[in-house]
Amino acid sequence: MTQAIVRARKLTRSFGKLRAVDGIDLDIPGGAVVGLIGPNGAGKTTLLRALLGLSSYSGELEVLGTRPREQRADLMQGVSFIADTATLPGWMRVRELLDYTAGVHPRFDRRAAEASLAATEIRLDRRIRELSKGMTVQLHLALVMAIDARLLVLDEPTLGLDILFRKRFFDQLINDYFFGERSIIISTHQVEEVENILTHVLFMHRGRIVMNKSLSEIEQEYVELHAVGDTTARARAIPHVGSRNILGGQAIIYHGTDRHLLEPLGELRTPSVSNLFVATVAGENNHE
Amino acid sequence: MNKRKPSRMHSLVVRELREYRNSLVITPLAIAATLTLIMLASVILANRISVMGEVMMDSLAGSDSSREIKFSIQLDDNGDSSARYSVSEQQEPLAEEEWNFSRGWTFKPGAGTTRQGQVDDDAKESGTLNIMFNLMHSFMLVVLVAVTINYLLGSLFNDRKDRSILFWKSMPVSDWEQVAAKLLVALVAAPGIYIAASLITQLITALLSMLLMWRMDVNPIEALAGNIDIMPLLVTPIVGWVITAIWIAPLYAWLMLASAGARRSPFMLAVAPVVALVVLEQIFIGSHFVGSAVGQHLPHYKGSEDAVGFYISGNEWANVDALKMGLGLLFAAVAIRATVWLRRYRFEL
Repeated sequence: MTQAIVRARKLTRSFGKLRAVDGIDLDIPGGAVVGLIGPNGAGKTTLLRALLGLSSYSGELEVLGTRPREQRADLMQGVSFIADTATLPGWMRVRELLDYTAGVHPRFDRRAAEASLAATEIRLDRRIRELSKGMTVQLHLALVMAIDARLLVLDEPTLGLDILFRKRFFDQLINDYFFGERSIIISTHQVEEVENILTHVLFMHRGRIVMNKSLSEIEQEYVELHAVGDTTARARAIPHVGSRNILGGQAIIYHGTDRHLLEPLGELRTPSVSNLFVATVAGENNHE
Repeated sequence: MNKRKPSRMHSLVVRELREYRNSLVITPLAIAATLTLIMLASVILANRISVMGEVMMDSLAGSDSSREIKFSIQLDDNGDSSARYSVSEQQEPLAEEEWNFSRGWTFKPGAGTTRQGQVDDDAKESGTLNIMFNLMHSFMLVVLVAVTINYLLGSLFNDRKDRSILFWKSMPVSDWEQVAAKLLVALVAAPGIYIAASLITQLITALLSMLLMWRMDVNPIEALAGNIDIMPLLVTPIVGWVITAIWIAPLYAWLMLASAGARRSPFMLAVAPVVALVVLEQIFIGSHFVGSAVGQHLPHYKGSEDAVGFYISGNEWANVDALKMGLGLLFAAVAIRATVWLRRYRFEL
C-alpha cells in the first residue's frame, strides 16, 4: 500500500471524564476500504469527527497531510463525507445544491452528478425536504461520487434504509467510485453488508482500537473451527478468541493457532468479519 | 485559485439569498410593486378627481373667472391631513412656489404630516417630491432592518438545528468564509436589493407623476424638474446606508454571535445578556454606559428633510463621532472573531 492518508498518535477526545476516543494510534493506507466497526458508544463517530476536523482533540493527527482541526477547508478539497443520513439542507432544490457545490468545490464534476441523478427519480427542481429518506441519501451519494476526492468518509450512511437500497448503495460505491488511490472509511452496524467490499477492518470498543488489520492478514491469522459432537470439548480446550453455538456444536475462532492442530477437530474456514468482531469484542462473554 | 475566489463568494452569497429568498428578495420587490400600484391607482384616481373638479369649478365659478383651479383630496379621517393640489392651466412653466403636490402622494398619511406641513410653508425649496420619496425609502429601510435581524439570528443557528451544518462543513469552505458571506449579505447584498427596489419605485413614481402632469396639461418635465432633486435621491440612500452599515455593524455582529452560540433561542441570547448588563450596571454602578452604547448602535429614527429613517446622525460624515464609531467597529471585529470560533469548535447543539 502507499503513503498513509490518516496518521494518528495518541489521539484522544474527552467529554468531561469520559474518554470517547482514548489514545488511539492509527495508520490508514491509501487505496483502502476500511470498515470502522464497533458497538454503540464505542467512539466511532467521535473518531470520524476528529478525522474530518469537526471536533477538537488532543494528540497528533494528520489526514492527507493536513491538521484537520486547523485546516478543515483545505482538507475538504480532498475529503468527502456523509456524516449522517438527511443532513442535506431541506430548503434547497436539487439544482441549487448542484449550483452551490459547483461554486465552492473545485473538484466537483457537475455533469457526472447530473448523469447519475438522471438514472434516478430525483428531478432537479425538487426540494430536498420533499424527497424520501432513500432519495436524499441517493442524492448525497450522487453528489459525493461526483467529487474527485482522495478519501470518502461515510458514517452510518444507510441507517434506516431498506435492504434493497443498502445493497445498491454499496454496489454503486465499489463499482463506480472506488478505484486507484481513493480510500473509503465506512462506519456501520451492518457489518454483513459491507464485509465483502472491505480491504481493512478497524474494530473499536470503549474508545480504543481493538483490531486494525487487512482482510488478508485476518485470513492468515484467524481461523474458525466448526466443531461438532465429541470434538467440541477438545477444541474448546485450545486457547481461542471466542466461540458461539452452532447446530450440534460450536464455532470457535482462534488467533495464530497452527491449522494442523485444528484440522482433525472439524471444518476450518476464515471467520466472517461480523463473527470475528463479536468474538473479539464480546469474546470474553462467550468464552466459558 | 485567485480566479476561483470571486465565484466562490458569489456562490456563498447566492446560497444565502436563496435560503432567505422570501424576506431578502421577494419582500422588497413586493413592497416596490405595491407602492407602484398605489401610485398608479392614485394617478388614475387623482386624474378623475381633477377632471370632475374642473367641471365643478367651471360650472360654479364661470369659465373665465379664474385660470387656476384648486382642489383637495381627503387622505384620511383627520381633517388636518387633507392634501391640496394646486393646479393651473397655464401653458407657461409655473413658478416653483406654486407647486406643492407632494402631500397628495403620501402613502402613509399620518406619518409625516408635521414635517410636510413645514415644507408646505417652505415650498420655495425645490425637491418637494424628495420628501415623499424619502418616506418610501425609510419604509423600505425599516423592513430591511427587521428582516436582516431575523436573518442574522437564524443564519448560524438554523443549520445547526436541522443538522445541515454537517453538509456545509463537508464543503471546502472555511468558517471565516461562511461568516463573512453572511455578514456581507446583511451589510451589502440585502441593503443593495432593498435600496435598488426603493430607487426603482421612486423612478416609477416620478414617471407616473409626470404622466399625471401630462394628463393635466402641464409640461411634465418642467413640473418635475422643479419638484425633485435628482442627486440627493440617488446619493442619499447609498451614502446614508454606508454610514448606517458602519454604525449598525456591531449590532449585526452581536446577532451573529448569538446565532452561533445559542442552543435554544438566538433571540434570547442576544437580548438577555444586554438587558442584564444594563440593569446590573444601573444597580451597582449607577451609570448608563452599556445602555447608551447599545442605544447608539441600534437603528433609530433621526429624520431630517434630506435624511429619514435610519440615517443615524443625518447623512453627514461631519456628524459622525469617530471614537464611538471606532469602538463599535472594534466590538464588531471581536464579536465576528468569536462567532467564527464558535462556528468552528462549538457548533453542535
